[in-house]
Amino acid sequence: MELLSHDVLVIGGGLAGLRAALEAKRMKGHVAILSRVHPLRSHSVAAQGGINAAFGNAPAPVKDTWENHAFDTIKGSDYLADQNAVELMCQEGVERVLEMEHWGTLFSRTEDGKIAQRPFGGTGFPRTCYAADRTGHNLLHALYEQVIGLQIPVYEEWYALSLVVEDGSCIGVLAFDPFKGNIIPIHAKVTILATGGYGRIYLRSTNAVINSGQGCYLAFDAGAPLEDMEFVQFHPTSLSGTNILITEGARGEGGYLLNAKGERFMEHYAPHLMELGPRDIVARSTQTEIDQGRGFDGEYVHLDLRHLGREKIIDRLPGIRQIAMDFAGIDPISEPIPIQPAQHYSMGGIATNGDGETPLTGLFAAGECACVSVHGANRLGGNSLLETIVFGARAGKKAAQKVGTGGTGKNETFFQKCLKALQSGLDEIFGRDGKEPGFLLRDEMKSTMTSQVGIFRRESDLLPAKEKISKLKERLRGIGIKQKRLAFNNELIQYLELEGMLHVAEVIVEGALARKESRGSHFRVDCPKRDDEHWLRHTLAYKTPEGVRLDYKEVTITKYPPKERTY
Amino acid sequence: MLTLKIKRFQAEREPQGWIDIFSLEPRKGINLLEALLRIQDEQDGTLSFRYSCRGAVCGSCAMKVNGNVVLACRTHVEDLMEKPAFIEPLPYFPVLRDLMVDMSTFFTRYRELEPYLHGEPVSSHQEYFMDEDKRKEIDPYINCILCGICFGVCPAFERDLQYLGPAMLAKAYRFLIDPRDKRSEEILKIVDRQAGVWGCNTVFRCVKFCPKEVPPTHAILKLREKILKHRLSSILPFLSPRHK
Repeated sequence: MELLSHDVLVIGGGLAGLRAALEAKRMKGHVAILSRVHPLRSHSVAAQGGINAAFGNAPAPVKDTWENHAFDTIKGSDYLADQNAVELMCQEGVERVLEMEHWGTLFSRTEDGKIAQRPFGGTGFPRTCYAADRTGHNLLHALYEQVIGLQIPVYEEWYALSLVVEDGSCIGVLAFDPFKGNIIPIHAKVTILATGGYGRIYLRSTNAVINSGQGCYLAFDAGAPLEDMEFVQFHPTSLSGTNILITEGARGEGGYLLNAKGERFMEHYAPHLMELGPRDIVARSTQTEIDQGRGFDGEYVHLDLRHLGREKIIDRLPGIRQIAMDFAGIDPISEPIPIQPAQHYSMGGIATNGDGETPLTGLFAAGECACVSVHGANRLGGNSLLETIVFGARAGKKAAQKVGTGGTGKNETFFQKCLKALQSGLDEIFGRDGKEPGFLLRDEMKSTMTSQVGIFRRESDLLPAKEKISKLKERLRGIGIKQKRLAFNNELIQYLELEGMLHVAEVIVEGALARKESRGSHFRVDCPKRDDEHWLRHTLAYKTPEGVRLDYKEVTITKYPPKERTY
Repeated sequence: MLTLKIKRFQAEREPQGWIDIFSLEPRKGINLLEALLRIQDEQDGTLSFRYSCRGAVCGSCAMKVNGNVVLACRTHVEDLMEKPAFIEPLPYFPVLRDLMVDMSTFFTRYRELEPYLHGEPVSSHQEYFMDEDKRKEIDPYINCILCGICFGVCPAFERDLQYLGPAMLAKAYRFLIDPRDKRSEEILKIVDRQAGVWGCNTVFRCVKFCPKEVPPTHAILKLREKILKHRLSSILPFLSPRHK
């Protein structure tokens, strides 16, 4: 048996993963990255609008501070974020963003040559640093360049199939090399999951096709809890049809949301911040307009940029102009963009502390797959990129320190045992003669999640959704795989992915059913009020043989007592 | 009805490769990548190709469609309905399986550039100050998504497989003109060779086919100009009348 070994193994090559690997490497660790796609194909590359940090570079009536940023984030989270974690992020964020600039990120500039900042939702303050509207692309390429500079090895296009847990500690993974068709155990003193979101369990999502939430499932399956999974962010402005993201920066630059009557409908929902209300509110407002018949074709409303003028659009929003032209055949300079809400982000994830540690020894998580929690019930635009580099770096640093003090041991016999168990599981799957194709199940799951576990939720939808997911899990056990070779076995990979997605979907549904209140992105039509007395607490979901077990934990409040949230 | 003639290669099945014809009734507005994903779901689970963002920003799905090299996600199937569309893997690169190619030489070239900012020293408490005009000068070159299309359309590779390639020369230029990078001669030295800027045919095919409007040929011409100026200034003293 070939057994690879590293001090720190990072799973995922997006911003959080690369940043974690860099930090661990800078601390002299023996680090490697494993990613299902080449790191530059990670979904971080698609982030558009920007990254928040309180530089105060843009002209504004008052000086920005990290404390202001923290307050906006906490209010935006509908008071579910852990305030100590938010403070960490907003304070350290300034340094992390500067570091990205020093590594070559080509930020747009102010007149005096500093990093340019634009307003984003939920703040009404120009705090979002941007590189035109290709901020993710610029950040990811700059970080990957650093990874090249430090010669950190990458297992490109490999999959992590399961975590190896011995005596309550994660000691590595079983990985799959699809080119050779080998399953290869990798020992790691510390494993860091940075696998991003699970958007593809929804029919309408801005996420890349690869975003199946596999890291969340791996951790859940290994016994680590998933936190606050019922909080799913829906972005108000995805391109109608393809659901490709149209950045909030378009509204930050002054774009209007218009219904079919040509009204700026946000004045009825967030009269002060208008289009720059927080995402949960703007998404609900947009969906309400569509549901009540004030959309176009019952499907979409308009994002109108025409009044910004050609120059500003070309200068600040060239990426979304290109997307609108390529994928909708319209030029935003002369026509409004048809948009509709779509799943966009996961506030929930693998429960971690501020150093990326999960309750499972030896296992860390960072980025969208983790829940620190800095976003609580609703994330503000521009905070996800910030989270990746702040908590990616913190996780990498802590992981390297753990390695210094020993970390987990390398038990070859145990790896052998786990490998055998995995192989016999695969043999069972390959031995089935089920005829039902897996994609039918996947499509049914997606439709169920979008129609019954979406922006507006009610018990009468959630109960059948729960039933449906559980039936799909049963049907999955009968699915066969025609292709029997392991090398390049797309069917097997999709099967395993679907298995993980169904578990993640189940956790979301269970959390949403249990939480009988409305908070941030979780809106229960049948319980429309926030209920701090009973529900100012985080959900923790554990995998048990009997199904999902829910538990709860306190929210950390430092100096911002929960208040009513108005914009 | 959409008909795709797809060039297949699966070493264990048919080492010579073969062509398969797939037909499907496309949903309105779908792109070629979505059509391929549907074929993979419904007709042939072994069909292999790369994908990720489906929004023309990640650079995974470059391939040859009716002789043009494109991103599949950016190709509307409406434009392919007239007659069977011929789909082949990205040219120049060795095929791994079906439409998946081995891009390792591409990234080897990339690493040759030492493609990371060799930063001028700066205080850790502030950014490098840069004019917005300077940013705009660099921006077109930084938009490269390293999809490999420019390699697939470049005729220079027919002459020299070792050619550094359009994307890499654009990347070299991006670092050269970045005021934050302290290198200058070092970068020129990497590209000043037959397999570097002098290998370009200046036929602008990379500029024409780039899905992100990156202009590698412009970068190549500017790099040549800088190299020539550099050479000229080093021999100029010997050409001046005083030396005669």
